[in-house]
Amino acid sequence: MNASSSPLLNYVVFLPMAFAFLVLLLPGNEKGQIRFATLLGMLVNLVTGIWAFAAFNPAGSEFQLEYRLFWLSDLGISYHLGVDGLAVALVLLTALLGPLVVLSSWRFVEERVKEFHVCLLVLQTAMMGALCSLDVMLFYIFFEAMLIPMYFLIGVFGSEERQKAALKFFLYTLVGSLLMLLALLWVFFLSGPEGTRSFDYAALYNNLMEANREVSLCMQNNAHCSNLSATAAALLKWGPWMFGAFALAFAIKVPMFPVHTWLPDAHVQAPVAGSMVLAGVLLKMGTFGFWRYAMPLFPAQAWAYQNVLVALSLIGIVYGALMCLAQKDIKKLIAYSSVSHMGFCMLGMLTFQAEGTMGAAYQMLNHGVSTGALFLLFGMLYERRHLRNMTDYGGIAKAMPIFTVFFLIITFSSIAVPGTNGFVGEFLVLLGTFKSNLPLWAGILATTGVIFGAAYMLWVVQRVFFGPVTQQANAGLKDLRFREFVTALPLVLLVFVMGLKPQPILEVLSPSVKRYVARVHQAKPNPESNTARELLRMHVRELPTPKLAQAQVDDSQPLNQPGERQ
Amino acid sequence: MSASPSLASSMLSTMPASTASLPSFSLLEFQPLLPAAILAVTAMLLMLSEAFSVSKSRSYQAILAAVASVVAGFLAFQNTQLPVGLILDGRGVMDGFSSWITLIACFAAGMSSLLAFGFFRQRNAERGEFYGLLLFSAAGMSLLAVSNEFITLFVNLELMSLATYALAAFWRRSSRSVEAGFKYFILGAFASAILIYGVALLYGATGTTQLDMLHHQLPKALEDTPWLTWPGLILVLAGLSFKIAAVPLHMWTPDVYEGAPTPVTALMSAGIKAAAFVALVRVVLHVGDSSVVFLHLLSFLAAITMVVGNLLAIAQRNVKRMLAYSSIAHAGYILIGVAALFTANHLGNDVGVLSATNVANPTAETLRPMALQGILFYLLSYAITVVGAFGVLAAIEKREDDGAADAWDLNKLSGLATRRPGWALAMALFMFSMGGIPSTIGFLGKLYLFKAGISAGLIGLSVLGVLASAAGMYYYLRVIVYMYMKPSPETEMGARHWSTEFVLAASAVAVVLLGLLPGPLLDWLRQAALFAPN
Repeated sequence: MNASSSPLLNYVVFLPMAFAFLVLLLPGNEKGQIRFATLLGMLVNLVTGIWAFAAFNPAGSEFQLEYRLFWLSDLGISYHLGVDGLAVALVLLTALLGPLVVLSSWRFVEERVKEFHVCLLVLQTAMMGALCSLDVMLFYIFFEAMLIPMYFLIGVFGSEERQKAALKFFLYTLVGSLLMLLALLWVFFLSGPEGTRSFDYAALYNNLMEANREVSLCMQNNAHCSNLSATAAALLKWGPWMFGAFALAFAIKVPMFPVHTWLPDAHVQAPVAGSMVLAGVLLKMGTFGFWRYAMPLFPAQAWAYQNVLVALSLIGIVYGALMCLAQKDIKKLIAYSSVSHMGFCMLGMLTFQAEGTMGAAYQMLNHGVSTGALFLLFGMLYERRHLRNMTDYGGIAKAMPIFTVFFLIITFSSIAVPGTNGFVGEFLVLLGTFKSNLPLWAGILATTGVIFGAAYMLWVVQRVFFGPVTQQANAGLKDLRFREFVTALPLVLLVFVMGLKPQPILEVLSPSVKRYVARVHQAKPNPESNTARELLRMHVRELPTPKLAQAQVDDSQPLNQPGERQ
Repeated sequence: MSASPSLASSMLSTMPASTASLPSFSLLEFQPLLPAAILAVTAMLLMLSEAFSVSKSRSYQAILAAVASVVAGFLAFQNTQLPVGLILDGRGVMDGFSSWITLIACFAAGMSSLLAFGFFRQRNAERGEFYGLLLFSAAGMSLLAVSNEFITLFVNLELMSLATYALAAFWRRSSRSVEAGFKYFILGAFASAILIYGVALLYGATGTTQLDMLHHQLPKALEDTPWLTWPGLILVLAGLSFKIAAVPLHMWTPDVYEGAPTPVTALMSAGIKAAAFVALVRVVLHVGDSSVVFLHLLSFLAAITMVVGNLLAIAQRNVKRMLAYSSIAHAGYILIGVAALFTANHLGNDVGVLSATNVANPTAETLRPMALQGILFYLLSYAITVVGAFGVLAAIEKREDDGAADAWDLNKLSGLATRRPGWALAMALFMFSMGGIPSTIGFLGKLYLFKAGISAGLIGLSVLGVLASAAGMYYYLRVIVYMYMKPSPETEMGARHWSTEFVLAASAVAVVLLGLLPGPLLDWLRQAALFAPN
């Protein structure tokens, strides 16, 4: 379909890495140079990210800016980059947070400056790579590779309990993703006879599509179970385990209840930059993984386990909010609010319905902006006082008026006040939940989460910013410096831009949303609704098997057929 | 003995060539032996150099050993292209697999001699005998890889082992080294005795010591004389399991690995492991199809080896012991590949979680090459990684610490990142590679191996494998924690030596480069055929 190939995504993914090498070559005591070089790298990354976003045509084919090379073809793996609407929006978010992360730590990190910035740049590459991969194994490689720099960011540059938190973060994610690796290998072998198998996302999806249809028919009506193909039979029998492995890996990353316990520790111990990236981008890898891999590859299982996942998301929403109400530590509170907000993302996606899914996609971006900004702003306060408990603050508004305004705006975004970005996302999610096949109480329960959310955030604002100045040290706090102002301003503005004019982003997201819903609806137990049928008819089609980048490819070596070469 | 007249006569009839007239060999048949010959000749030269050399400097010895390894390795690489078949009247075998194992052995020998260069110079203990023994050991590995007959296999195993016993005890000023050599020798001799006893029983049952003939005789022997054949098979497998350090025959590993001079430990974990595995693979391949028991046995062995190895490693504070236990765990992962070699013929045998599920209708033709590549790539990746890891230990090891109780405590690595950033980075890479984190060669190795495991339908075993390796990541990360996240003590670092630095740099570069761009390596490995019975 789309034969054009563009090298743009290579730059998006690997320029930060190139800058990491540059930084590595700089002398270790030239902290200024290192910071500027990193900032420059992130700005270049931002430019390429914006470029990619601008180059993406919402009316075009599903995956754009594709680029493909042979790589480990013996194992069925290729180097294949490309983005759809959701991915390109997340790429933009990641690129945007990059420079802000560097600026936020401008004065915070004074030791091992070089290592810190190299980690940031490598992490940027890994995140971009995971978002842009169109080969499942390539995605897995970037997904895992993200762990290493993040591990060092938390473990070396965090606060007191950092080593434990870093280890917990690493092992939690590793267990999930290793099981996913096995499930992936299993699916790979199921997907076709020897020689036609590939880890390429499109090929894998296409190879499984027919079997998935058979499985869902069989699950609706036993009469269809008699003459299943071998693949479908295996998928019917083992599919739940495979889906479970995928779901576990991504659920840990999201994080969903009950595998969220690594998140509060990691957030509390991580440095500001680490928290920002963790909340801003890394958590989205979980929801993105569900969206791109777990649901479309196993639609029948996704329907079968919809209620379980919805229940866990709802528990996450309410439990996260209740935990927030009980926290003294502000960073921990923001971390639990992440659990709650990411629960909304999951709930929206699990409605398997257009509005809810759109809300989920939008909420992913919102959460990146608002929680990223919360960590950023709190980091500024932390830099001044090095205290995390709410009781240590009070009456900050008098000393730091601009800071207070910023924090208030982000709070409004976080609690979804109309006019801010949070409203658009949460409204769509709730709307979708009520319109979907889920029971009414699911929507009602989710709504209580919004109310609790308002309660705990406003409570924080009240206790930290207003009231009398309880501690003398807080009275003398300086308001934002120019650098801090510049760092926070883009996110604050974005709250309004995304809240008042969501159309441009919704437009980019919308084709991805439609395709996601349609793909899951292939396997709907009883496809009654007209919209579902319409979507199915309009948007489900075989993914184009991508063309290879012309120049680098030896024509004698067709992809998907290892074993031919001598 | 029950050797009936018919058996004895059939035995005679199988070896007419060797008894009746002198067999004629073509020159080609000697080609697989060439690397071993070069290693052995150089070893003798090095031995003699101690007797005749008048020069005071001994620097040339390590260099000579390394050069011989490179030359032998190059020849072994050339040999990977040779046709597949039996050589030397069926006593040896010529295939890509053995050549690759020879290559790994040469790599291990070359790298260890470079490590030993700096290590023993610092201790004023450079001796030609050391490098001679090292090369003899490598020659033994190389010959073990081509053995296709039990007596040949046994002799080569002993050539390799005897040299290594001496190497382990080489640093005789340290009581630990002597203890390690002694332990290794006693237990190793015991294992060899078990092996040869099993061989004798099998010979009694089947009338042959040649593996390919054994393959044909075995089904009948299992039926006729099970009480002779089974003990024989079990004893042979036990003897080989000892060499690969599979649980429950792993007890010697931590003590020997810890006590032996670090360069020797590197040789043992990289080279001996690979050579012992090739012997195991050859034997198992020839006997495995005859009964499903072998599948169960190997699966069980793989499972407990992975789990026990990793769990015991977690408890270690001594880095060298930790790496020793981790080498046990890695043997467990490779055993998954060994089990996958012959699952195709035993599908559908239900033995609980370890049973083989039919995933993709595997046939022996598709499964064997995949499992073989998995084993081979894993051995290669593990050799590169572990040589580097022990290299870092050899680099930071100080002479004053010899024999100290805490010589290998994790504390010795504290703050390495600030004192020797290059070494710390290399060690971190090795740890990530052992843990199987992507962008290192260790990940590709695990990917290959688990791919073979899944394809063979060993789902339960693979799940256990990844969970065990996740647990393993815990202790690998602890090394990184100490290097990067603990303050550096005030003690001074040991001296640097260029050859040690070269080993570290080369291994670290290989770990990343081959992890990302294995390039033609995968092609070469795919062409590495294995001589298999038909």
